[in-house]
Amino acid sequence: MSANRWLATGNFFSSYKEEQRIFFTHLDRLLFCVLLAVLFIWPLVYEVSNKYMLVLDNILIAMVAIIGLNLVTGFAGLISIGHAAFVGVGAYTLAVFARTIGDSHVLITHAWPLMLIVSGAVGAVFGAFVGLPALRLKHLYLAIATLSFQMIFQWTINFFPLFNQGQTIPVGRVYWFTGMVSRGDHYLFWYYVALVIVIVFGLAVRNLLRTRYGRSLVAVRDNDRAADAMGMNPGLTKVYAFALAGFFAGVAGALHAYLYRGAGIESFTLAQSISYLAMAIVGGLGTLTGSFFGPAAIRMLDLQVENMVEWMKQFLPAAMNLATAFKPLTFGLVIVLFLMFEPRGIANWWRICRTYVKLWPFRY
Amino acid sequence: MKMSKRILILVIAVVAVFSFGVSAQAEVYKIGLSLAITGPTSDAGAPYAKGVEDYFRYVNDNKLLGNDTIEPMIRDDQYKTDITKRNFEEFLDEGMEFYLNYSTGSTLALKRDFDEEKIPVVPASMDAGNLIDSTYIFLPTTSYSDQTLGVAEYVVRNHKGGVPKVAMFIHPSAFGRAPVEDVKKAVEAGLKMEIVEVVEHGTDLDNTAMLQRLMSKGVQYVLCQTVQSPVATLVKDAERLGLIASRFGEEKKLTFLGAHYTGGNDLILLAGSAAEGFYWATSFNLTSEPGEGTTFVLDLAKKYGRDDQTANSHNYTAGTTVAQIATEVIKRAKAKKKEITRDNLYAEITAMNGANALNAKTTVGPITYSKTDRKGVDLLQIYSVQKGVFKAVGKPFEPGAAFKTKK
Repeated sequence: MSANRWLATGNFFSSYKEEQRIFFTHLDRLLFCVLLAVLFIWPLVYEVSNKYMLVLDNILIAMVAIIGLNLVTGFAGLISIGHAAFVGVGAYTLAVFARTIGDSHVLITHAWPLMLIVSGAVGAVFGAFVGLPALRLKHLYLAIATLSFQMIFQWTINFFPLFNQGQTIPVGRVYWFTGMVSRGDHYLFWYYVALVIVIVFGLAVRNLLRTRYGRSLVAVRDNDRAADAMGMNPGLTKVYAFALAGFFAGVAGALHAYLYRGAGIESFTLAQSISYLAMAIVGGLGTLTGSFFGPAAIRMLDLQVENMVEWMKQFLPAAMNLATAFKPLTFGLVIVLFLMFEPRGIANWWRICRTYVKLWPFRY
Repeated sequence: MKMSKRILILVIAVVAVFSFGVSAQAEVYKIGLSLAITGPTSDAGAPYAKGVEDYFRYVNDNKLLGNDTIEPMIRDDQYKTDITKRNFEEFLDEGMEFYLNYSTGSTLALKRDFDEEKIPVVPASMDAGNLIDSTYIFLPTTSYSDQTLGVAEYVVRNHKGGVPKVAMFIHPSAFGRAPVEDVKKAVEAGLKMEIVEVVEHGTDLDNTAMLQRLMSKGVQYVLCQTVQSPVATLVKDAERLGLIASRFGEEKKLTFLGAHYTGGNDLILLAGSAAEGFYWATSFNLTSEPGEGTTFVLDLAKKYGRDDQTANSHNYTAGTTVAQIATEVIKRAKAKKKEITRDNLYAEITAMNGANALNAKTTVGPITYSKTDRKGVDLLQIYSVQKGVFKAVGKPFEPGAAFKTKK
């Protein structure tokens, strides 16, 4: 490694430890820290309305879910069309606790970090269980298996009184060191919580991909027989991938329930699963940065299409009927266009832009 | 000197004119509505939105609030609670003082937000669950439970010979299940009827097996709590099997009855001749029964260029009704020279009872609210399809009066 750690060029390493660094240079680390500082400070400087704060919170929660989906579908190559169900498992874990012990119980309101972890753990258990068919099934058949989990989840929630038969189960307001998080601070508070979780999970996944487990995921995706021949356990790897995705989804679900102060079935349907898949594809399957770009792009697209339809209504009264088709039309069109012209997603555009701009120091 | 005096007087006059202008500036009251104009249930939501929009335009055009105007903020949420919440936050940011919501799911999900914001809300949803653990939600009319109980009572009153056997055909959601427990409690409390089966319909396009099963169990009446499309499919299948009763309670046949969202002209359009003899309970006046209120609704629709289907839709009437409630509350607060704030509007709406009841011509009875009574219209009217048109059967009545169950 070069003596100048700020502007080091090349990829010469003299130890494994050097190679395992996330930031190759101090400059990279500094830029990342500046980005983090901006993300934490800007809401305190620039006031955003509750509506857009809610949108941002939704984007961050979707990022948490998509990190998990990218792990199982992008890195491990296992198609999952039931990801919203895993998110729902997390949300309903919290909701069941709220319904059973009371939504103002100290466990819900004060021990909310613990509840996030518990929801993630339950999501992981369900993920591992749903991952068992992955031992025998591949591609389309595996997709159908995950779809069946989505259907079972929806039916279960709609049928059983424990889950209020799909209607919203309320969750109380949480407490922070400064006291109860009031309505005025609600969206800002959950922005920071979701942001911290996105950062922690992002770094965790970045590290995971550098470990043997992360490499196993990619190896199993590319050729599971060769991976088996190399001494990896493809079956365990696949179940592990589903379990990990389930954990991330469970945490996202619990965040969703806390943000919306309740859990209702409409947020965890098949349409939402398709939306998550679209986010992963548009962002870039098999990339970590794609997990950040995809949700932002899709959620902002939804918002802009809504605004455009509202604007069109001024000139075209019949636009109300057009809007029925407009939103799914744009949604489907974006996915098809990305698959045709940029299958590597927005992450590839980011890579190209970065490569174009960063002329020196070179990494190679 | 004279010139400077003139200039001074001129300046004072100009300032006075502007001051007068500022103090007489018209107020704009913002009322929000988030509903499904497109997507699921938009066949009800679209005319509902038009009714709300047209009534507020009528208020502004005819200066019912003097120089002040109402600015309706109507957004499409495609029946998604996440979008409803976003719209609600947007309306709050815009300074909304009164809110009109739509779906049961979103009303229940936002219940606590309404209480925290202390904002009066009148939703299109008539789920009685909206009133539990809430203070600021006001149902426009009788609840789904009341409507289903009303048709059940009608069955018991008009059935001849023994205890009527009844099946319930409900939507597979909380919206559909809402009245089931209340009807069962009424039976336990003495309503002389037997509930043979409660059927949650799916998306099946064929109800032959279900209808044959009900017939084999001796069912004579089917109470529906769902939306128009499944009811239309049901009655068309019954007609195909020759099971529709030609008169109320005909033996070895089925008589179909339903709550508010099962009926309306759209049902007749969907079901055709199969809708003949369908009994429907609602608290709204229909345009097929000419009267002062229905004439007003038709004139309103005509004035603002709405087509016949919209004008004759009970959902359009419902939209105008909730807009009337909101307008009346503002009007009363203004008359008392109160500032238009949420607290004052809440005080006015809870005072809407007794001599202060709102006689909206679009409903079968007066709209009354208090802190303990947050259902607007307490009366229900039964209609029946006769020769392709809904006609009133009997007089408006208060459902469940004889079988009031304690919650």
